[in-house]
Amino acid sequence: MIENLKNGIKRITAIRYLKLSLLLFGLLLNTGALFAQNKTITGVVKDESGAAIPGVSVLVKGTSTGVATNVQGEFQLKVPGPETILTFSFIGTVSQDIRVGNKNSIDITLHLDVNKLEEVVVIGYGTVKKKDLTGAVSIVNTKDIQTRASQSVGSVLKGMASGVTVTTTGQPGAGSVVRIRGIGSLSNNEPLYVVDGLSLVGANNINPQDIESIQVLKDASAAAIYGARAANGVIIITTKKGKEGPLKVDFSANVSYNWLPKYNLMNADEYKKWDDVAYTNAIVSGVPGVTKLQNHYTNNTNWQDEIVKNTTIQNYNIALSGGTKTLNAYVSGNVMIDPGTVYGTDYKKYTFRVNTSGEKGIFSYGQNLYFTNEITNGMWGNPFSNMIAMPPTIPVYDETHPGGFGYGSPDRANTYAQNPIGGQNLQTNKNKGFFINGNIFGQVKLFDALSYKMNLLYVGYTGSTDYLRKIGNWTMGQGADKPYLSRSTRIQQKYDFENTLNFKKVIGKHDIDAMVGMIYEDDNIVDQSGTKLDPAITSNGEYLTSMNVASGLASAGTNFLEGVLISYISRLNYVYDNRYLLSATFRADGSSRLSPANRWAYFPSVALGWRISQEKFYNVKWMNELKLRASYGQLGNANIGYWDYLNFINTSPRAVFGNPAALALGSTVSKLSNTDLRWERKTQVDIGVDAAFLNNRLTFTADYFDSKTTDILTGMPLLLSTGSASGNYGPNTAIVANAASLENKGIELNLGWSDKIGEISYSAKLNYSKLTNKLTKLGFGRTEQYSNLAISKVGEPLAMFYLLKTDGLFQSDAEVQSYTNSKGQVIQPTAKPGDIRFVDTDDNGQINNNDRQVLGNPWPKFETGIQLSVAWRNFDILINGHGRFGFDIWNGSAQTAGFFANNNNNFKDFNPWSPTNTNTRTPHALYGDSRNSIGNMDYWLENGSFFRFDEIGFGYTLPANICNKIHFRNCRAGLTLQNIVTFSGYSGLDPDFADSGVFDKAQDGASYPNPRAILFNLTFGF
Amino acid sequence: MKSKILYLFAALMLFFITSCSDNLLNVPNPNALTDENFWKTPDDAEKGLVAVYNMLYRQGTWTRNNFTQLDGMADDAISYAGWTELAEWSRFIMTDYNFNEVNQKIWYQHYQGVFRANQVIKNVDQIVFKDAEQKKKVVAQAKFMRAFFHFYLYIYYGNIPYITEPSTVEAKPMQLTEDQVLTLCAQDFKDAANDLPETWQTNQLGRATKGAALAYLGKVYMQQHKWQDAKDALIWLVEGAGANNYQLVSNYRDNVTAYNEFNSEYVMEINFSEILKTGFDVDYDANSNLGTQFGMNNAPKGLGWNNVELSRWLVDYYLREKTTDGKNDVRLYYNCWYNNSKLDFPDMPEALIYGTTWESQSTAQAWGNRVFPRLYTEDLSKPSDLFYWDDINYRLIRYADVKLCYAEVLNELAGTPPPLAVQLVNDVRARVNLPALGSSTYTEYNSAISSKEAFREHLKIERGLELPFQGIRWMDLKRWGFDATNLAALKLRDPDFNNFIPGKSERMPIPQTDVDNNPNLKQNPNY
Repeated sequence: MIENLKNGIKRITAIRYLKLSLLLFGLLLNTGALFAQNKTITGVVKDESGAAIPGVSVLVKGTSTGVATNVQGEFQLKVPGPETILTFSFIGTVSQDIRVGNKNSIDITLHLDVNKLEEVVVIGYGTVKKKDLTGAVSIVNTKDIQTRASQSVGSVLKGMASGVTVTTTGQPGAGSVVRIRGIGSLSNNEPLYVVDGLSLVGANNINPQDIESIQVLKDASAAAIYGARAANGVIIITTKKGKEGPLKVDFSANVSYNWLPKYNLMNADEYKKWDDVAYTNAIVSGVPGVTKLQNHYTNNTNWQDEIVKNTTIQNYNIALSGGTKTLNAYVSGNVMIDPGTVYGTDYKKYTFRVNTSGEKGIFSYGQNLYFTNEITNGMWGNPFSNMIAMPPTIPVYDETHPGGFGYGSPDRANTYAQNPIGGQNLQTNKNKGFFINGNIFGQVKLFDALSYKMNLLYVGYTGSTDYLRKIGNWTMGQGADKPYLSRSTRIQQKYDFENTLNFKKVIGKHDIDAMVGMIYEDDNIVDQSGTKLDPAITSNGEYLTSMNVASGLASAGTNFLEGVLISYISRLNYVYDNRYLLSATFRADGSSRLSPANRWAYFPSVALGWRISQEKFYNVKWMNELKLRASYGQLGNANIGYWDYLNFINTSPRAVFGNPAALALGSTVSKLSNTDLRWERKTQVDIGVDAAFLNNRLTFTADYFDSKTTDILTGMPLLLSTGSASGNYGPNTAIVANAASLENKGIELNLGWSDKIGEISYSAKLNYSKLTNKLTKLGFGRTEQYSNLAISKVGEPLAMFYLLKTDGLFQSDAEVQSYTNSKGQVIQPTAKPGDIRFVDTDDNGQINNNDRQVLGNPWPKFETGIQLSVAWRNFDILINGHGRFGFDIWNGSAQTAGFFANNNNNFKDFNPWSPTNTNTRTPHALYGDSRNSIGNMDYWLENGSFFRFDEIGFGYTLPANICNKIHFRNCRAGLTLQNIVTFSGYSGLDPDFADSGVFDKAQDGASYPNPRAILFNLTFGF
Repeated sequence: MKSKILYLFAALMLFFITSCSDNLLNVPNPNALTDENFWKTPDDAEKGLVAVYNMLYRQGTWTRNNFTQLDGMADDAISYAGWTELAEWSRFIMTDYNFNEVNQKIWYQHYQGVFRANQVIKNVDQIVFKDAEQKKKVVAQAKFMRAFFHFYLYIYYGNIPYITEPSTVEAKPMQLTEDQVLTLCAQDFKDAANDLPETWQTNQLGRATKGAALAYLGKVYMQQHKWQDAKDALIWLVEGAGANNYQLVSNYRDNVTAYNEFNSEYVMEINFSEILKTGFDVDYDANSNLGTQFGMNNAPKGLGWNNVELSRWLVDYYLREKTTDGKNDVRLYYNCWYNNSKLDFPDMPEALIYGTTWESQSTAQAWGNRVFPRLYTEDLSKPSDLFYWDDINYRLIRYADVKLCYAEVLNELAGTPPPLAVQLVNDVRARVNLPALGSSTYTEYNSAISSKEAFREHLKIERGLELPFQGIRWMDLKRWGFDATNLAALKLRDPDFNNFIPGKSERMPIPQTDVDNNPNLKQNPNY
């Protein structure tokens, strides 16, 4: 065994020096040479019901030689001789050893390990058997993760669990947005990620191939043990461990061909035609300053083709695992190269992981450590909006402009649209991030029932962003900005120190599992930045990116951040006679981020379960399992700025006095603070049922929850007249306050079916979530909170679209004149035929902000996810889909196009009103007048409902005999179509995009769409 | 067994050691002072005051939007801005009351100045000054600035809260009537005038003076038509001891360029500088720019943002009168950049801005007969770069303005234009070689001294030509009122006034978010 481990370690070292393919080839020969094989065994592995079990590991005991059964449960393996013992093992079943003897074929039946429900669920500082669960927990297992070929943790979860909403962006390296049971808070809705006990915000740097299982703790009682950080739910990720046994090597390669959906934009000829119409209309209606048509540039630029490119993403993964009881290891390396689907962007990620664990006597111990290195060339601005805004008549390059890029000109293309190619070239933005995350723990078993565990955790991030602003312009009327270099770095470290004491004992019918613990967490950040003007430029125009040789003014700054969280935790899980379940948690948390008087808070929770199917009176044959659950719990959140409760002196203000001018230093309180900030508290009730029918072929889970979040900590805008400034840009006066209360209620259903008909085995899983959301209180005594396009009103859902209502187009001057309010006042006296008619809601005879109404709902009526799988012989098909239904999207890309009001480009199907084309909802093309293309009207709302097949995958597993011949344990090739089939009436690029904030939901400001892809996948192991 | 007990003991120890935790939760912030350890010394008070002056250097105040919007609304300017909404606001088409660029920024950044001034006034009380005079000067400057920011808020919005205490998070300040606002402005300016020095040393120029306080006090009273009070305020500057401090500069050009700043004519001037060249005008950047964006904001279409430009009538009005030596009014040459400048001023160097001649670009850029500002551009004849920022001081009040104000006040107090009033107007005209009223080549001006009304009407023109595009005209128009006659005249000069609705357009709409969120604040009438 030790030999194997040594081999493993040697091989790890080899990764650094050899290309993956070479290494694999080498290993292949190596393991192949271990045995002289002289006998072939075939066989079929089945379960108790007689159904074939694919994926069963068949190993020659004491060696690494082995295969996995195919979809029919068949295997074929060469063995040294009759004395060979084969070990058959499969998750959830009892392993069996069979001596080969004289047999040429071995058919065996594997027995379930008591029952599937014995599956263990990680619940934080401990585990619980699935059958004993009292909280709402969704589980995503290894198999789902492996076959999904996902590039990130977020996309693994997409559509897989009820109550879990995942929105992604196609932007390379950008994380997914995961929301558990909707929006519970106003400031921070990121769930807590706990990776092997390590709590993280976001888990984008985890390699999905390393994941063993994901558990989503949705209700308060399940998440209670994470109390102060768990208000948005907890995603527990367990990474793979080495299993006792000989070394296994697994390799997978994904190569995907990616492309983005595209707009159907006008070409230059079409653009010129309609732009001339818009100018002619402007001249006729007397728009000030417009006297003649544009003297168009003569180019024909397809901005979209310039910006968007098709790319091939490569993703390679190798994992080594194995070990003994006292020490086992899992080591993996991953490389991902994403050249970016947008001009000038790309993303590379390298991860490396070492997990070890073992036990000896009363001690057990372990360690997890992983490194991630990310390199991103960032995107400038929003190219998806700029590609619409830029007229196709403007050339990409124009030698006469500083910097050499084309842009608007008052006479030829009067637009302030930004040349995205120019912007991307003239401002380069390179980000490097290096993560080192890990923990080491030791556990000692004292007496029979008591164990003590100490766990030290470390999360480290070192990142840098290098920015270069070159000389040159990307838009009309831009000043002569000085070139400069800037570099900002961040060093972030978090230490956790956990002590837990566990008592676990079964006394007769009483099963007791109790735990107390103490956690100290310190996180600190050092930000550093420097800027220097006038970088050196070589004679051929290259910029030197070192500040050493820049000649201009330099400035630098640092910022130090630190926060401490101290928690005392306790939990009791009690089961009586396998029938009655109790789980109680109590937690005390102290956070340095709150006012001294309000730092400590206490969060209790309790959950009860009743396994009716275990009762003696229960006698329902077709229903194998029935459990009722009910829970009540409280969670906290203090995830705000480090010192938001203090009034600080801003020492930045300056003025000049004197002639010649000399600088004077100023100081003042420029931002007010709430000095009595307290914990945000979420109280949740969950009632659930778990059931299994027809020999566990049909499973069903249902949950109803009702959660109330009070004292929500969020940035709440003060009155502008306070003159308090929270940030640098715009009149943004929001400061952190215990500012609101929210209520979320919902239903979650999961239905699963799996069965086998002849040689075809298949399964289907369906999940459904429905959520309603209500704002119950706002801070500072307010009843409404407005954002640009939305209103959040007490008693109503958050972020409802609050817009002007349109009522078609004016067809004639007579219609304009006859459109009056109740007093006979003409409402839109300056309107022309072809203009939009707005509803004068308040009947005051004019259209203004008071005419806005709630006209759209950004909240889906329900969400659903579906997973289907079919296997026949060596072939398998996997289909994953998800959808959201019954909500509105504000289409910002259509608004960007406008109706030639700003000379922006438009779409080929542009069908504006004209005296001869009156049967349309599109107003007339009119340059220089914004009234028909304002953002806050319902014209831009569209039905956002969609259903998407995220993945349609086809796989072929090499038959065991062939596999064996080429010395592989297993080998599978797959082809997956990603995001190719979407059903939606939405006219923007993609109805599935991430929101920009809680007060602005379902507003598609020309978001980065999810790429379509064809992915080829090859995995094999030996 | 023994060892097990030892482990248990060790575990429990760790437990208790780490539980002495309250101290661990006190994490100090090394990045900033708190207000508890500030406001202790005279130096803190001076720093607090600098932070008030800092609010002059902001987009929502004098770096950009004050002149964009004050000029844009008035009849001496017009906007053909590519930013349609911005142009509409200068045309009295104000649709989105939360329009950030103009409406929210102006409202909020003026109140930011008020908040900072109130902090100084409040906290100075607890600071021990060795030099009692220093304390008086600090408070007087803070009061001046408080009144100053409120006064411009009044110019825009009329019915505003006048805030005299440092803001709190719960603050819901009361709205006042225009008269109440101006009464409080007057009180603060009066207090300030009592304690402000007449002049500052050269290295302190840019701070408020007694003369500035009295000039603003005069303007406050003039807006209320309290002519006698206005005279009492202004008299010190024109007829009293203060008169010795001020004199018109001989060359009009010195009022609109970076040359000869803080000259003898300055009463209140914003000291713009390019001493800090990085950063934007933001709250939390010690390198925030302290320049003006006048150049970039107003540069002709194709060169800069072209957010506002001058109205054509100014050119026509300048040209209808000749100087005593038969030439054109040099104020036209310095203030306006337009198609005929070369012909109208044959013996002056050809007018350039940003290194370009009118002819070289006017056709390509389709400028036609539009008029762009030449005032406050970096150098009036030499090539220069157009950058976002410039260091040309903005003259808020200069002595010519005071003289014309005083003339107006005297006229309103008398039955016929008094000789001093006429003399003051002639002083301003003489500086640019225009003949005295009565002997103008434009004969219609010669009836100006015939009656109180005629003199008032003439002042409306004289002020327009002396102080065009200088952030003053809108205040004047409000004072003169928008009755049918005035409005008809305005419509002839500026078609934007076709959108002017009496009873509504005199005031801008208060930002909707504050109206929504402050029960003590009502939206202005008819919005």
